[in-house]
Amino acid sequence: MGLSPKTSEKIAFSLLILATLTVTGFVLIILAYIILNGYGAISIEFLTQMPNRMMTAGGIYPAIVGTIALITGSMLVALPVGIMAAIYLNEYAGESRTTWLIEMAINNLAGTPSVVFGLFGLALFVKYFGFGPSILSASLTLALLILPVIIRATEEALLTVPNEYRESSLALGVSKWQTIRYAVLPAAIPGVVTGSVLSIGRVAGETAPILFTGAVYFLPRMPDSIYSQFMALPYHLFVLSTAGTNVSETRPIQYGTALVLLIIVLGLNLVAVLIRRHYRNKLKI
Amino acid sequence: MTESVQNVSQPQIEVENLNLWYGEKQALKNISMQIPKNSVTALIGPSGCGKSTFIRCLNRMNDLIKNCRIEGKVSIEGRDIYGQDVDVVELRKEVGMVFQKPNPFPMSIYDNVAYGPRIHGASKKDLDGIVEQALRSAAIWEETSDRLKSPALSLSGGQQQRLCIARTLAVKPRTILFDEPTSALDPISTSRIEDLIMNLKKDYTIVIVTHNMQQAARISDYTGFFLMGELIEFGQTRQIFHNPQEKSTEDYITGRFG
Amino acid sequence: MFSRNSKEKGIESVLFVISTLTVAILFLICLFLFRDGLLLFKETSLLDFLTGKFWYPTSVNEQFGLVPLFLGSLLVTVGAILFSVPLGVASAIYISEIAHPKVADFLKPFIEILAGVPSVVYGFFGLVVLVPLMQETFNLPTGQTALTGSIMLGIMALPTIVTISEDAISSVPGTLRQGSLALGATRWQTIYKVIIPAAISGISAAVMLGVGRAIGETMVVLMVTGNAAIIPSFPGGFLDPVRTMTATIALEMGEVPQGSDHFHALFAVGSVLFIITFLVNLVADSIKKKYRFKVS
Repeated sequence: MGLSPKTSEKIAFSLLILATLTVTGFVLIILAYIILNGYGAISIEFLTQMPNRMMTAGGIYPAIVGTIALITGSMLVALPVGIMAAIYLNEYAGESRTTWLIEMAINNLAGTPSVVFGLFGLALFVKYFGFGPSILSASLTLALLILPVIIRATEEALLTVPNEYRESSLALGVSKWQTIRYAVLPAAIPGVVTGSVLSIGRVAGETAPILFTGAVYFLPRMPDSIYSQFMALPYHLFVLSTAGTNVSETRPIQYGTALVLLIIVLGLNLVAVLIRRHYRNKLKI
Repeated sequence: MTESVQNVSQPQIEVENLNLWYGEKQALKNISMQIPKNSVTALIGPSGCGKSTFIRCLNRMNDLIKNCRIEGKVSIEGRDIYGQDVDVVELRKEVGMVFQKPNPFPMSIYDNVAYGPRIHGASKKDLDGIVEQALRSAAIWEETSDRLKSPALSLSGGQQQRLCIARTLAVKPRTILFDEPTSALDPISTSRIEDLIMNLKKDYTIVIVTHNMQQAARISDYTGFFLMGELIEFGQTRQIFHNPQEKSTEDYITGRFG
Repeated sequence: MFSRNSKEKGIESVLFVISTLTVAILFLICLFLFRDGLLLFKETSLLDFLTGKFWYPTSVNEQFGLVPLFLGSLLVTVGAILFSVPLGVASAIYISEIAHPKVADFLKPFIEILAGVPSVVYGFFGLVVLVPLMQETFNLPTGQTALTGSIMLGIMALPTIVTISEDAISSVPGTLRQGSLALGATRWQTIYKVIIPAAISGISAAVMLGVGRAIGETMVVLMVTGNAAIIPSFPGGFLDPVRTMTATIALEMGEVPQGSDHFHALFAVGSVLFIITFLVNLVADSIKKKYRFKVS
């Protein structure tokens, strides 16, 4: 068109800036909205009391406990399995059909929708293994969901360990496994921790996988075993904001729950960033 | 004279017709060599000549490389190290190695030296003694005795390299391989390590790869010259430097190429 | 010595077996989804399922037609991509080519925050903010529409698209950039004539991953798209409620009797979803491999 290159560059750059401002605007608006509306609802009572008056008042204590139970359960399973699988892939596996198959499986697990994990958890853990809708079934389902995340994070951490550590340990007459155990893993710990913290955030925020594996709207009493059903923060927020009869009456509780969830998840993300930075600086000396 | 008698009776390392391939490419051609006990042997030659590849055959570090194939015989203290019943891990305890780049683990000075003995089952109460002994032998005890718990990476490059030597000594090998140990260091650190190597000779058999001919001339008793995967010439250092038998050795030593 | 070697071998074998668990899990997912899904076809033919225009799972004359759900997912996903790709790629260009490095270092993690927000929080935000806004703006009977879902999904997909596009753009060699500038091209001409074409496969991989993320997302669409299982029109359907495949499973699985046709139908929908995301990821993966090859 008739525009000079200089003018069209100006227009183009303004549009790019506008797009970036829009994207950052989304971040700001979503955070600000939840924080400003939610912060009034949060109090010690809100965090430590049972819900009451048909969920229209009281706290979210059981949902917090449920979410912590899910985090603990799923990490107990996914962390050792994920780390060991990553060690095999990065330290032992050569190029073979089996390795290719494993890598392919991890990629696909990472891309599988969370609701499909929910269906699978229902079919395998709830029905086939007979664990019923329970903390156990939901934790195992979530463990499968974060397994690829932990494997990838650990593999990346192992990749950043300089080969010299392996060589010099082996040259000291230390066996391969001992080398991995005493020289490679300690150096990879920061990366593994970062990945794990991020997956804790994922577990805390996921809703679809727990819909059919044991999350409930209301508990008459606290869960007392891994076979109990449970309340969880994301499910609590979902039900209150969509299915309740008093959707507008419980609005403050919804905002409060959303904020607690956001604080947990983003807080964990922040922790992950800080860990990474801490170790990066430490390695610089 | 006694030295030469000893050579004949008891070579520490004996290599016969060693060939090595990386995939299709042959990197070592028909190497034969006898390395006497309690001596320093320097391996020189232009980069890519195979000297580093060769030294890594002596503690089987080449095993880690995919597609690496070896033929021929390497004996250390009379034992074929590529034999069927050889435990590579045990072999590497007896044949230590110090690398080009100082590479201490990201742990304390103490833990670096204790790393090997600890894994090999040294008791807690022996450990302090082993660490001190190794640091003394590597001539770095004076500098580190008051800060054993500080991170090894806080040491200077030259100190790190002596720490790596101490780490190797702590495992109590009888042979030590040095793969260009001073090429990343300043001249002062270099000369300290050269002194150290000459001192270690009375207790250990030492093989050192270097691209620095003055270094080879200064510290070694025997010298081998490598070119394009072949051992061109091997003999007493004095003879190699003053009276080389081969034209290419002379060219290299006098700086006409490489 | 023998014992140490066998211990080493033993450890390697254990690690190997554990890493093959991933393959076993994938296999089990296929097995359990397809097993329950295939049971549907005792009652309904595969063709009727794939081409059926009506999803009436609870009427006396139950019908399990995938078409409205599939088109619902498609519509919402297409909308999300149309919304997020221009925004995301433009931001990626700004961050890697124009912004001051310090600004870029701030913007990247800031936009990454979006990736950490749980989907149910997006759904909640959409419900309380965007739904009423849509209703007023377009004067609709309900603000729960395909477009509402598209916008929320688009925002969710932004961090993926920005991060991966940014990677692709920054890995374009500086020599190409300097070469173009040296010929007297402006920075903008350099960006759209040289850099974007060089980064295009990386950007397409980003788009594919965004598609995969959007098509598999459940909570947001469940909460803001109204969940009406009718075949949407195009493009007017953006302002009507729609029902996606994921939302259908989430909405109905809680109430169906196990072992019923309806139960099996939901597993069949899950199988279709699984296959679609499988293919999308495969494509994204192969694009990514090609692009890595090109760069190196």
